Amino acid sequence: MDRPPIEPMRTSRKLSFLDGQQLKDLQEATFQILENTGVQFPSDKALDIFTEHGAIVDRDSRIVKIPRDLVIRAMGKVPRYFTLGARNPEFDLILQDGVSYFTNDGCGHNVVDFKTGEKRASTKKDVGMAARINDYLSSMAFSWTMVSAQDCGLTSPLHEIDVTWRNNTKHYQSVTMMGEKICRYGVEMATVLRGSEEELRNRPPISLIVCTIAPLVQDKEAIEGALILGEKGIPIVVMSMPTMGTTAPATYAGALAVGDAEVISATVLMQLANPGTPVFHSIFHAWADPRTAAYVGYPLDSRARYAPVEIAHHWGMPSLGGAFGTEASEPDSWRSAAEIATDPLLVALAGAEIVTGIGLRDTYTTLYPESFILDDDIYHSARFSLLDMDVNPDTLAVDVIATVKPGGHFLSQKHTRKNMRTSMVRGVIHQLDKSGKYRDPSEYARERVQWILDNHHPEPPDEDVQKEIDRILKTADKELNS
Amino acid sequence: MSEEFYKKLMAAVVDGEPEDAEAIAKEALEANLDPLECINKGLVPGIQKVGELFSTGEYYLPELIIGADAMKAALEILEPALVGGQKLDVVGMVILGTVEGDLHEIGKTLVGTMLTANGFKVVDIGANQSVEAFVKAIKEHGADIVGASALLTTTMLQQKKLVEALESAGLKNKVKIMVGGAPVTDRYAQEIGADGYAEDAISAVDIAFRLMDAPV
Ligand code: B1M
Repeated sequence: MDRPPIEPMRTSRKLSFLDGQQLKDLQEATFQILENTGVQFPSDKALDIFTEHGAIVDRDSRIVKIPRDLVIRAMGKVPRYFTLGARNPEFDLILQDGVSYFTNDGCGHNVVDFKTGEKRASTKKDVGMAARINDYLSSMAFSWTMVSAQDCGLTSPLHEIDVTWRNNTKHYQSVTMMGEKICRYGVEMATVLRGSEEELRNRPPISLIVCTIAPLVQDKEAIEGALILGEKGIPIVVMSMPTMGTTAPATYAGALAVGDAEVISATVLMQLANPGTPVFHSIFHAWADPRTAAYVGYPLDSRARYAPVEIAHHWGMPSLGGAFGTEASEPDSWRSAAEIATDPLLVALAGAEIVTGIGLRDTYTTLYPESFILDDDIYHSARFSLLDMDVNPDTLAVDVIATVKPGGHFLSQKHTRKNMRTSMVRGVIHQLDKSGKYRDPSEYARERVQWILDNHHPEPPDEDVQKEIDRILKTADKELNS
Repeated sequence: MSEEFYKKLMAAVVDGEPEDAEAIAKEALEANLDPLECINKGLVPGIQKVGELFSTGEYYLPELIIGADAMKAALEILEPALVGGQKLDVVGMVILGTVEGDLHEIGKTLVGTMLTANGFKVVDIGANQSVEAFVKAIKEHGADIVGASALLTTTMLQQKKLVEALESAGLKNKVKIMVGGAPVTDRYAQEIGADGYAEDAISAVDIAFRLMDAPV
C-alpha cells in the first residue's frame, strides 16, 4: 500500500526558555515538595512498593514522602531514549536528539459527522476513521485515541485498540486505558500482536498516557494500570495538568513545580517497581479563567511555553510536549489557527521527543475530520521552517543572475524551469481551482478526507492474530460489560 | 452595638477574611447577640454583595470563593448557637458530587460555590463518589436537589445509575436531580430522567432556582 513516509520534525537548533539556575531551582522545588509535603497515592500496591524502598508512607492519609536520595537513585534508572514499535516496522520510532514525532489530539467525545454535519457522540467507527486518516498523513508519526468508542461500554479502551490496529499501522498510544483489569487485557492484545513477550518489550506497539491529579494526588486506576504495563516494559507517559489558580499556584513557576513533583513521584514509583521502565515526562499546564474557571490553554502571555520539555530533559527523561488543542469550536476560524500557530515550531525547537494535539477543537473534545488536514498544514509549515537551507553554487545561481542582468526576468531560464515547480510547496491554502483562483481551504480539506477514506486502506492484522484479538475482546466484554 | 457587629461581619465576608469572620462571630455570641440576626443582617448581605461584585466583573473567582469561605467560617460558630425554632433561611439544600470513577472536580466545586453564593446550602461530597454515597448523603441531610457531575464518557453512565437508585429508594419524587459536565447534554439528561441540566456554573444557579420553584 502506497502511503507517504512519516516526516517528523528534524532540527539541530535548540531553544532554551530556562537557564541553568532556573532549572536547578525548579528541580530543588520538586525535591522539597517530594520530601516535605509528599504526594498522595491512594493505592495499597503503590504504598507497599514505596514502603519496601524506604519512603515515608502514611497509611491513613496515603501520603508518601520521598527522600531526595531515593528520588535520585530511582531517576537514575529511567531510560533517556528507546523505541516505540509500530505494527509496520518501517514506522518504528527511534527516539533521538533533534527529532520530534507528532500525532493527533485525544480523547474527544464529540464528532461532527462527516456526511451529515450533525454533532454527535463518538463511536468505535469514528475511532477507526481517525486512525485511518492518521495512517495516511506524513505529519503523524504515531497514533493517539482521538475520540472514544462510546458504543462499547467499559471496555471501550480495548475496542479503541482493536479498531485502531484494523485501520492504522503506526505505534498506538492509548489515552484511555485505566485500571489493572483493562490494562492486563491491553497487554494480552499487544502480546498477541507482537508474537512474544520479548518482542513486545523490544518493540512495544502500544504505550499509555496516564494523568496525575493536581495538586499532588495520583489516580489509583491510572497508577495501578501503569504498573501492569511497566512489568512488560511498555512505555508510559505521566502527564500532569496543573491549572493555574485552581489546582496549582497562579504563578507559572509554582504550577510547574506542582506538575513536576507529580510526574517525578509517579516515575520514581515506576522505576522502583520495574527498574528501567520507559517513562515520558509531560506537564500540560493551563490557566483557569479568573472569572469562570474555564480551562484556558492559550492566554496572550504564555511565555516559556515549552519549559516543561527542558525540565524533563534536565531529569534525563524524554518529554511529551502538547501542541495544538485550540479552544475554538469551529474547524477553520481565525482563532483555531491563531491560538496554535507557533506551537509546533516552539515545541520542536525545545526538543520534545513526542508531541500530541493535532486535529481536535473545543479544548480537546470535538472532532471535525477536516481539522486533521488543516492542522496538518500548520505542522508542515513549522517543519519546513526548521529544514536546513541549501546554499551552494547551483542554488546561489550567480551565473543565472548574470545572464538575466538588471531588469530582466527569470521565467525563460532553464534553471527556473528546473526549480520553480518545487520552490513553492502548496499547502491547503494555495490549491488552485479550474480558473486559477485559490480554493476555500476547508472545502479542499474535506475533499482530502474523502479521498483518504475512499482510497487508503491500511493492511489489517493477520487473520489468526485478529481471531485471537476478537477472542480477548469477547472475554473482556463478558467480564466487564455485563 | 449590634449594628456595629453586623457591619463587621459583612465586611469580613466582602473582604474575604475567614479568620476575622470567625473571630467576630465568636465575639458577637459573647456579647449576647442573636445569632440569626447576625446571619441575616451581617453574613447574608455580605455574600449578596460579593455575588453582586462578582457579577459586575469587579471580583474574580478567588474573591468569590474566599468570601464564601468567610461566610462558612462564621456560620460554623453561629449556626450551632441558634435556639428553639430558629432556622437558617436557605433557598434549598443541595448535595453535590462527582460520580464514581471520575476525578474531575473543578467544575463541580465551582457549581457549589456559585450555589452557596446564591443562598443555597451545599454539601459537597467530593469526587469519585458512588451512587450509594449520594443516596446516603441525601438521606442524612434531607436534600432538595442532588447534583452529579461527570466529565468522562465512561462515567456519565453513573448519572443514569443515580437516577435509577433514587427511584428504587423512593426518593425520585422527593429530590430533584441536576446533572452536568463537559460530555453531558440536555438530551442525555432528559433521556436518563434527570430533572435539570446545566452547561456551566452560572446556568446551574438558574436551574437550581427553577428546580426549587423559587424566583431567580
Ligand atoms: C450538578 O450540576 C452540574 C451542573 C454543571 C456542571 C456540573 C454539574 N459539572 C460541571 N458543570 C459545568 O459547570 C462547570 C463550570 O462552568 C463546567 O465544568 P468543567 O469541568 O467542564 O469546567 C471546568 C471549570 C474546567 N475544566 C476542567 O477542569 C476539565 C478540563 C480537562 C482538560 C481535563 C482535566 C483538567 C483533567 N483530566 Co481529564 N480533562 C478533560 C477536560 C477537557 C475538557 N475540555 O473538558 C477530559 C474530560 N479528561 C479526559 C480524560 C481522557 C482523562 N482525564 C483525566 C484526568 C484529568 C486531570 C486529573 C489531569 C484533570 C482534572 C483535575 C481536577 N482536579 O479536576 C483522566 C481520568 C481521571 C478520572 N478517573 O477521572 C483521563 C482518562 C486521562 C488519563 N489517561 O489519565 C477526556 C475525556 C475523554 C472522554 N471520552 O471521556 C477530556 C475530554 C480531555 C481529553 N480530550 O482527553 C461545566 O461542565
